[in-house]
Amino acid sequence: MSTAAPEAVAGARTGLAGALVVPATIFVAIGLLGPIAILFRYSLNQFIPGQFMVDGLTIENYVKFFTDSYYLNVLLRTVRVAVICTVACLIMGFPLAYVLARMQSRFKNLLIMLVVLPLFVGNAVRAAGWMTAFGSKGALNASLMGLGLIDHPIEIMFTENAVLIGIVAVNLPFMVLTLQSVIEGIPRNVEEAAFSLGAGPAAMFRRVLWPLALPGILAGTILTFILAMNAYATPVLLGGPKFQMMGPLVYGQFAQQNNWPFGGAISFILMTATIVLTVAAHLIVQRRYR
Amino acid sequence: MARLSIEHLRKSYGDLTVVDDVTIDIADGEFLVLLGPSGCGKTTTLRMVAGFVPPSSGKLSIGERNVTALPPWKRNCGLVFQSYALFPHMTVAENVAFGLEMRKVAQAERSMRVAEALRLVQLTGFDGRYPRQLSGGQQQRVALARALAMEPDVLLLDEPLSNLDAKLRQEVRVEIRDLQRKLGLTTIMVTHDQEEALTMADRLVVMEKGQVRQIGTQRELYEKPADRFVAGFIGRSAFLDGEIAGNGRFRTKGGLDIACAAATGMGSATLALRPERIAVGGEAQGCPNHYEAKVEHASYLGALLDIHVSLSEHDRMLLQIPNRAGVAEPKPGETITIGWAQDAGLVYPREA
Repeated sequence: MSTAAPEAVAGARTGLAGALVVPATIFVAIGLLGPIAILFRYSLNQFIPGQFMVDGLTIENYVKFFTDSYYLNVLLRTVRVAVICTVACLIMGFPLAYVLARMQSRFKNLLIMLVVLPLFVGNAVRAAGWMTAFGSKGALNASLMGLGLIDHPIEIMFTENAVLIGIVAVNLPFMVLTLQSVIEGIPRNVEEAAFSLGAGPAAMFRRVLWPLALPGILAGTILTFILAMNAYATPVLLGGPKFQMMGPLVYGQFAQQNNWPFGGAISFILMTATIVLTVAAHLIVQRRYR
Repeated sequence: MARLSIEHLRKSYGDLTVVDDVTIDIADGEFLVLLGPSGCGKTTTLRMVAGFVPPSSGKLSIGERNVTALPPWKRNCGLVFQSYALFPHMTVAENVAFGLEMRKVAQAERSMRVAEALRLVQLTGFDGRYPRQLSGGQQQRVALARALAMEPDVLLLDEPLSNLDAKLRQEVRVEIRDLQRKLGLTTIMVTHDQEEALTMADRLVVMEKGQVRQIGTQRELYEKPADRFVAGFIGRSAFLDGEIAGNGRFRTKGGLDIACAAATGMGSATLALRPERIAVGGEAQGCPNHYEAKVEHASYLGALLDIHVSLSEHDRMLLQIPNRAGVAEPKPGETITIGWAQDAGLVYPREA
């Protein structure tokens, strides 16, 4: 059997396949796993003001996080923002991805570029643009007040809504591109077969398109969810100083408070929450649709 | 089951007309084949009947129902695709049950009809398999069962056999035809495969450039092709260009004077001759039209010999003779006598 079977990867028998994964593995090991391990060790250390970090083996940093309602609220807010953004990306991204996937125009590639366009603009640039457009003295409020439609400027900047909109704007392209490539792999005539068998558009979507697109939906939601959970620049720039999410909180502990053990603990709580929620969603979806 | 009528159906995209004034009446239980070269509009016509392409103008009725403006899911047309288009995430039974489920057929009746449909296509016992676990021929039969289970008014087949290998194609061809007869299904099939069309159809529609060139039985199309295109498309024909030289006379470009019953009227025209109607040697001497011809090329095809000859500088033609014992194929450059009867040819006005 084994002699007749084709190689799953070119060069599998010569050990070349092993060599192919080496560069990425080394990079991930040095760049990610190592620092995470060190960070985890730090999170078990003690922080004594004035002495910086003191070697120890304690869970007090974790206890501090879970017993303080301020930190719990930050976690809750982060999860809420990430879930809302992911759902919004899915709802807005699916129709767009579907149209792009089914499009046969020669402008298709151009339109895909347009979807990616928001990513060409950095977070800082976008935030600056928004301040001029949506700030209390920005173009929108100035126009509305000039027209006499409102008396006081509408608060858009430095609210949770601003952060939500900002994260959706950044994450939407990831969702659209992921869904588009999966939907493109679903033959159009499978949809037509469903129609000819008496399924209206809603039934076709529910019974055929959605289940077949599920791998893409999972990949897209996981990607946007992780990005939203860990967002840093958008909450800082659009949320303002009073709006806290987990990403900025971690950075604050390291850079401003110099409390590395607590920062490490928050990092681990954020990472664990992201992984647990992602895996849970994955399992629920798989159980329902398979 | 019901009759289907297509009236003055037209589809254009901007300046491009892909289906041009197509009118076809299909009787209840009839097997009609749309045949033509690729790009002739046959598939677009089928897709308009199915409801996937909105016609630019014209009318479609199934039975007494005007379905022109109905979406596909309200037309009750069973459709079998070239690529089968099975639902990959559903089992064979779920695929076949899909149409019934959409029609809210009760569970008990649904499973009975699924079993019946699978029995018809000889796939009893495959209920729990997934499409990826089936061969191409089996997938094709699941697609057919899925279309049949919902008891469609009209069955539409879009090149259903072209993804199967040659031997399987012959078998499935007969199976589909038997099933269609047994169930009395009004059926339209689209194909570019002439042999498939000729063996399966009750009637054929030859299309070219969006237009119907001729509708008829196999015999009508072969014996009385309506125009030069049909004469060349259904079977083979030898064409001689020239002009009508009075009643019953045809003069070729190369100056040959041919007695031809079909030559009436006047003007430049083309004479079409079926290659197997042309006699060779002693047999040819007795024909009203017989000529010395130079062999250009001969091919041995087993049961037949294909011989390309030239009668003059401008007149070349193809003939076919049966491969009887003792007949050697003529060599290039050899001169042979060929001939044909007065009523053998058909004359068409020359196309611009």
